[in-house]
Amino acid sequence: MQGAATATRTSRTIPGVAEDPRRLFVRWQQQGDESAREELVNRFMPLARSLARRYGRSSEPFEDLLQVASLGLLKAMDRYDVERGHPFQSFAVPTILGEMRRYFRDSGWAVHVPRGAQERALKVRDAQERIANERGHAPTANQLAEYLEFDTEEVIDALQAIQAYETVSLDAPRPGADDDAGASYGDSIGGEDERYELVELDATVAAVLGHIPPRERTILKMRFVEDLTQTEIAERVGISQMQVSRLLRRSLEQLRALTHAPGEAR
Amino acid sequence: MRRREIRLLTLPVAEIPNVRLNLSNRAENVLLVRQALSGLSEAIKLDAVELNDVSTAVSEACNNVVMHAYNGEEGPLEVEVYALGNELEVIVRDRGRGMRTPAQHGDDVGGIGLPVIRALSRSMEISEVTGGGTEVRMRFAITKTTAPEPAAGSDGHRAASSYPLAMPDATASLIVGPPRLARAVLPRVLTALAARAYFSTDRISDTQLLADALVAHSENSLDGDRLSVQVTATPRDLHLRLGPLQQGRAAAVLEDAAQDGLGTLLERLSNRHEISAHGSAEVLDLHLAERG
Repeated sequence: MQGAATATRTSRTIPGVAEDPRRLFVRWQQQGDESAREELVNRFMPLARSLARRYGRSSEPFEDLLQVASLGLLKAMDRYDVERGHPFQSFAVPTILGEMRRYFRDSGWAVHVPRGAQERALKVRDAQERIANERGHAPTANQLAEYLEFDTEEVIDALQAIQAYETVSLDAPRPGADDDAGASYGDSIGGEDERYELVELDATVAAVLGHIPPRERTILKMRFVEDLTQTEIAERVGISQMQVSRLLRRSLEQLRALTHAPGEAR
Repeated sequence: MRRREIRLLTLPVAEIPNVRLNLSNRAENVLLVRQALSGLSEAIKLDAVELNDVSTAVSEACNNVVMHAYNGEEGPLEVEVYALGNELEVIVRDRGRGMRTPAQHGDDVGGIGLPVIRALSRSMEISEVTGGGTEVRMRFAITKTTAPEPAAGSDGHRAASSYPLAMPDATASLIVGPPRLARAVLPRVLTALAARAYFSTDRISDTQLLADALVAHSENSLDGDRLSVQVTATPRDLHLRLGPLQQGRAAAVLEDAAQDGLGTLLERLSNRHEISAHGSAEVLDLHLAERG
């Protein structure tokens, strides 16, 4: 079907029938026909788009990736040798992917938190708080995805990433959930601690829990002694549920490290 | 045109995988595979570009199983990951209608699944699975990794599907070894399953805390040197089964997870739990439900 015979028969396009890409390459590369080049770009842009979507999923803004993939497509078109007989697609896929990989390497993507992922984590955090305030209960991942027009996987990734970004949760200004404009999470946490010291510490408890800062200790007790939900804790302490989540996770990890002293089996 | 990487022989699996996931070929399960890979890559310090390559290629292989392995029916999707020092090997297997040729592996975008895998992996082979099915085996070059010691031994290793403690209708079965690798893998996979069960972010976070606790406090109680968790996700409900555990050790997991002054975390984080004995082993079942 894609033999040399068809490529040499005629250069006229039959309306309504997609022209063989090889013939388009012959028209462009050998006869300098710019309209054939345009046609090829249109024909294979979906391939570049599809690869951009697959590669680097949930990490970089899609538009940036698409731009890199498109550049890769143009390079592949320049370098493709129609005489070799391979279909263009099998040549273009590795070229486009190679371009995207180089972009990731060069942009230092491997060592930094990807911009797209970080932006999404912030948006998920803010949306979570906004929806929780509006509806009186924490949203599901699907509700967040719908609200933000993300796919669920992006929300799931964000829910995990939030735990890792110290700076995201503590230093960023709080979204307009509160009256005191400009207050940061760090500001709102202090001062409330003592009010929630509900359980007296006995000696053994103090030995381990005593190493945990008062704020975290308070939150731990609210969750595990009083059995409050994270949302309820968030309301009482005046921080977000995501922040409660992060503090719980971190302080439980600290407790384990303290309990399992070196030498003990892990 | 015959392609070189096709081998019509079934290769024996020499080692025990570091991560094994048994799923069905539903489209939403590919996400679980990616989450497990992200977790593993965190544990072995895989570079983000390498993880991205692996994750993209493996997703393509899984999508092929989703789209083509069972003629629109549901069937098993099995993924095994082996961290081999400077290489990562991933096997994606189905139990479908036998060997599919590369042409049949094609997908909606003019068959770019296999070209993508080929471009991103160091090597790839497709082989037939004894008894029907197709296996795609991919190897990826990795740098500066903290390779785990291989999941040791063939200590009575049984495929999860044939294991007597298997939960019927499990959404996912995850086996990780050595168990410390599960620290990053289990919370990620459970987060995705909690999201699927329509949990609120509140309860999703509890699920993550529970996953952390299970990994941290079960190591000395495992029957063997791998952590095995099965999960059934239904709307507003997650059922987890941890095991096999050594006889009498399920209660020890609960106790070990108690923090002075805070009580037993696993009991607080779950709605209820059961311990049951199965021959010489035990399992710990934990149920989590969305509140309200």
